[in-house]
Amino acid sequence: MAKDGNEDEMVGYRQQPGKLPFAKPGSGGKDRFSRPTDQEMIPESQGGKLTQPWGSHRHDNLVSGQVIGKPTALVDGRWKVTGQAQYGDDIRLPGELIGRIIRSPHHYARVLSIDFSKALELPGVVAIATGADAENKFGVLPVTKDEHAMAVDKVRHVGDLVACVAAEDEATAREAERLIEVEYEILDSIHDMRDGLENSEYPIHDRGKYHIGEANVQKRVFQEFGDVDGIEENAIASHKENWLFAGVNHAATEPHAVVANWDPSGRLTLYTPQQVPHYVHRALADVLEIPMHQINVHRTFVGGGFGGKSDPFPHEMCSAILARKSGRPVRITFDREEVYWINRGRHPSRIEMNLHADNQGRICGIETDALIDGGGFASFGHVTTYYNGVLHTAPYEIGAFHYTGARVWTNKPASGAMRGHGAVNSRCAVETGLDNLAEQLSVDPIDLRLANLLPPHSATITGFRVTSIGMRECLERVKEESGWEEKFRKMPLGKGIGIGCGFFISGSGLPIHWDPNKFPHATVHLKIDMDGGVTVHTGAAEIGQGSDTVVAQSVAEVLGLPLDMIRIKSKESDTSPVDLGSYSSRVTFMNANAAISAAMQVRDELLDATVEITGAEREKLVIGDRRIFAKNDPAVGVSYLEALHKAQEDRGALVASGAYRTPPMGRTHKGAAAGLAPAYSFSAYVAEVSVDVETGQTKVEKVWAAHDCGKALNPLAVKGQIIGSCHMGMGQVLSEEMRYGRSGHLMNPDLLDYKIPSVHEMPEVFPIIVESNDPEGPFGAKEAGEGPLLPILPAVCNAVYDAVGIRTAELPITPDRLLRLIERKCKAEGLEDPRELHSPRLEYSGLQTVLVNRAEEHAMRDLDRRLNDERGPYHNGALFGLDPTTPPDEVDEKWAVNVIPSEEYLAEPRLAGSAWKHTERRHRGDS
Amino acid sequence: MVQHRLPMLPSAGEVPWVASVNGVNKQLNIENNAILLDVLRDQAGSLGTKRGCDMGTCGCCSVLIDGEPRLSCLTLAAEADSCEITTVEGLADGHHLHPIQAMFAECGGSQCGFCTPGFLVVTSALLEENPSPSDEEIKCAIEGNLCRCTGYQQIVDSVREASAILTSGEAVEDSTSPKSDPHPGFSGE
Repeated sequence: MAKDGNEDEMVGYRQQPGKLPFAKPGSGGKDRFSRPTDQEMIPESQGGKLTQPWGSHRHDNLVSGQVIGKPTALVDGRWKVTGQAQYGDDIRLPGELIGRIIRSPHHYARVLSIDFSKALELPGVVAIATGADAENKFGVLPVTKDEHAMAVDKVRHVGDLVACVAAEDEATAREAERLIEVEYEILDSIHDMRDGLENSEYPIHDRGKYHIGEANVQKRVFQEFGDVDGIEENAIASHKENWLFAGVNHAATEPHAVVANWDPSGRLTLYTPQQVPHYVHRALADVLEIPMHQINVHRTFVGGGFGGKSDPFPHEMCSAILARKSGRPVRITFDREEVYWINRGRHPSRIEMNLHADNQGRICGIETDALIDGGGFASFGHVTTYYNGVLHTAPYEIGAFHYTGARVWTNKPASGAMRGHGAVNSRCAVETGLDNLAEQLSVDPIDLRLANLLPPHSATITGFRVTSIGMRECLERVKEESGWEEKFRKMPLGKGIGIGCGFFISGSGLPIHWDPNKFPHATVHLKIDMDGGVTVHTGAAEIGQGSDTVVAQSVAEVLGLPLDMIRIKSKESDTSPVDLGSYSSRVTFMNANAAISAAMQVRDELLDATVEITGAEREKLVIGDRRIFAKNDPAVGVSYLEALHKAQEDRGALVASGAYRTPPMGRTHKGAAAGLAPAYSFSAYVAEVSVDVETGQTKVEKVWAAHDCGKALNPLAVKGQIIGSCHMGMGQVLSEEMRYGRSGHLMNPDLLDYKIPSVHEMPEVFPIIVESNDPEGPFGAKEAGEGPLLPILPAVCNAVYDAVGIRTAELPITPDRLLRLIERKCKAEGLEDPRELHSPRLEYSGLQTVLVNRAEEHAMRDLDRRLNDERGPYHNGALFGLDPTTPPDEVDEKWAVNVIPSEEYLAEPRLAGSAWKHTERRHRGDS
Repeated sequence: MVQHRLPMLPSAGEVPWVASVNGVNKQLNIENNAILLDVLRDQAGSLGTKRGCDMGTCGCCSVLIDGEPRLSCLTLAAEADSCEITTVEGLADGHHLHPIQAMFAECGGSQCGFCTPGFLVVTSALLEENPSPSDEEIKCAIEGNLCRCTGYQQIVDSVREASAILTSGEAVEDSTSPKSDPHPGFSGE
């Protein structure tokens, strides 16, 4: 407490400039003097010089100018560059056995018998397990648990797990694989996703009373919002395209690997490179039938995830079962080929995209039908089916939204979540469609977009709460920096430029396991002992994206410490509080918020201690570089260690726990929670390409990539994510494809034939960071890991059109595919030589001025909405003349909200929509 | 059909093998058909050398054999008998990182880090041969290495920065040097 009375004593703890305080236990080291606060890093709202065009933020007063917003090297980078980082296969325990998986050679078969007696006799073989050893089902989503550790009854794709063996060395384990005799009854397999919609004699899974007909439909979605009946009447231009997207794999450089060890006390430690250690934790408990506290999940360094390591996996179960049986640690490492058998890559998809524009250049309707090929298991598919529709209800204000989606099982390796989960393919279809609409309307496609954006603090047609939007700035920046005006529709044949946008969730609003007792999404613990170093315990999975670094930065910023005083313990479930994992771009948003909340508690205690020592007024204290002082008189203050030791009197180490949960959001219709997020990221890319019209070869030359990440906590990492996303999206649009042969076999399960871009294929990428200062994000931040992937696909497709006048509707755009289209176009135009082709040109219609004027008005509207706290609600529909303050369906009966198809629709369903022709077993009279 | 990675040649038993791995003389008994990558990881203790594909497509397993970048997954250990092998663990001088290591860590050249050892080994050889490579020369040097995280741009940046450090003769700070003082004095702000 401040000492009363004497004014002099109030400032009695005045430090003389340049004079070192007495050494204290724990002191010593470099930088013996506190650095003056860098006012360039302090927000205007706190009297600093950091301009805030998007207004102030609730975390402004926590900014100490240490690390937030500065390009920061990853805190674990030095482990990686010295070879000291231990990935899955680098965990070598004494006495380890090598595990191998016996996999199905058939697409679809019943396992009649497994005879492993010969294998067991082989010297060096220690344990063998089959599906009979673990019959409980698991899966990442509790509603669709459909996986077993190994086949129980049936195998569902080539490479599906049948048995596993542990042996003294790899050669013996491989030899044992060959000695295990499995008898199969081959069943008719399904490979074309369209066949999955039909009834089948042996559906790939049996969902019991929830099974849809007797078909292989795993999930179906129907959504109808807005003025659906008015689309036809209002539209003056319509676009329709049937897309075919090949499946793609994450192709992380590290193949999956796992080590299981049961320690002498009977507890299991599972070492695994995982994005979702917590879901693995739950699944292990289910499968092994032991309580969760008997398991320690140890996340190793992860050699790339991208969604490919975000399911609990059967091989993880296998290693635990083998280790239990053998009494020794078991290590299983995949060959590259096995990575493709476990897959979980982007769904092969057939998407019908219909877009409609009215005479004001407004998007009066989006009708999407997406059939996605889930392969053998559910994985994240339930969510993916929704995401293919609901994630293109923004950033544009739309008059009507009609979505039918279905995910089917086929006898392929399972599809799952991959960077840009569920949004990438349909976004490509939307953005190329908009390009076509702009062409039909004879307007500039960027101006078309600028005139149709949702404003900040609005609600989409499906009721998603959108807070910050930097979409307009993204579009304006790429337009400016790419020299769009001089290039678009003006370049010679073979040279083209194209625009694409993106919109993505920054964390899923609903956790996968929505426990009734409201567990937080993320929890962070801090421990600070007398040495002053801060130990941060977090369960967030560092997968190379820099989650350890972001949480360290957040804590360092709030406490005014350099990063070298922060140490992150994020590896073990025994010591880390639960974090749901690195998926749905949730970690920075949720985990950094939790970390800030924990650090604020410590900050409060340090401020209290400073008041006690100095007698200064608490409100006037600020935290700078390792020092707490009076803002108006910096000489009055104490070092961080002094305050800390004071706060520790009579209690020892400071500990704090911070947590994050999403606020209540969204609407109540079925499926309303899918796609709900506490914030959304936005991006716009312009790609410039060259197309060789004689070979069909496309080269992406340059990409201007603007991404609204709210606030770049670490600009170096954000740029790395943007460029890396370009790489992955470029692969999908130009060269990557899981190719299945006529008999259904995967033909390219290796990195030679599955072509990810090398350094020579990469364009020059100009990352542009847009900071829209999200009100709920940590220091304003939103995601930057997945959203930046979305725009590159349509930007390249649209650039190809600009270059040669050909719209592709099949990815990847390999030279042979494009050449076929070029030849077809030449034939249609009666040309011998493709070099005589003409690329498209643009002459503005009268609508262009309407759009430009509206975009200008909207820019003013958006500026007002982002800075003015008195703004009212804004619901999608206001652009069409409806009252922005209420959800349109509540006041306008034309405005539909339907999640069940009508009889009328079912009479003429689209492809995926036809999944609704089946009745669930529980609703059928006959069962 | 599921294929299995099998040793190319049947083993005819163990043979003695001698090589210098990161300056340490290793005398091992190896299977006569052993692949260098397996020997390095399983017997010579170089777990920094990574296995990504086993068929020479990803470059994660790159090592230097007598100073030349080679793919250890496509090299029989016998081919490297009596050679000097350098892996990622051999690049640093004690706690002084090689500039290429320091810059990969500083400039975003390493994200998940799994491909990093391969890139470091290859680019350290490039800088040895050509201390001031152009961007195009850097790209050609790393064309056999795949990275799934970075899109290569910050890798090229890292190599360029490392080249600047090497040519300036600056030393990389010893990583054991003292960290920040938690009890600093008032500088006179």
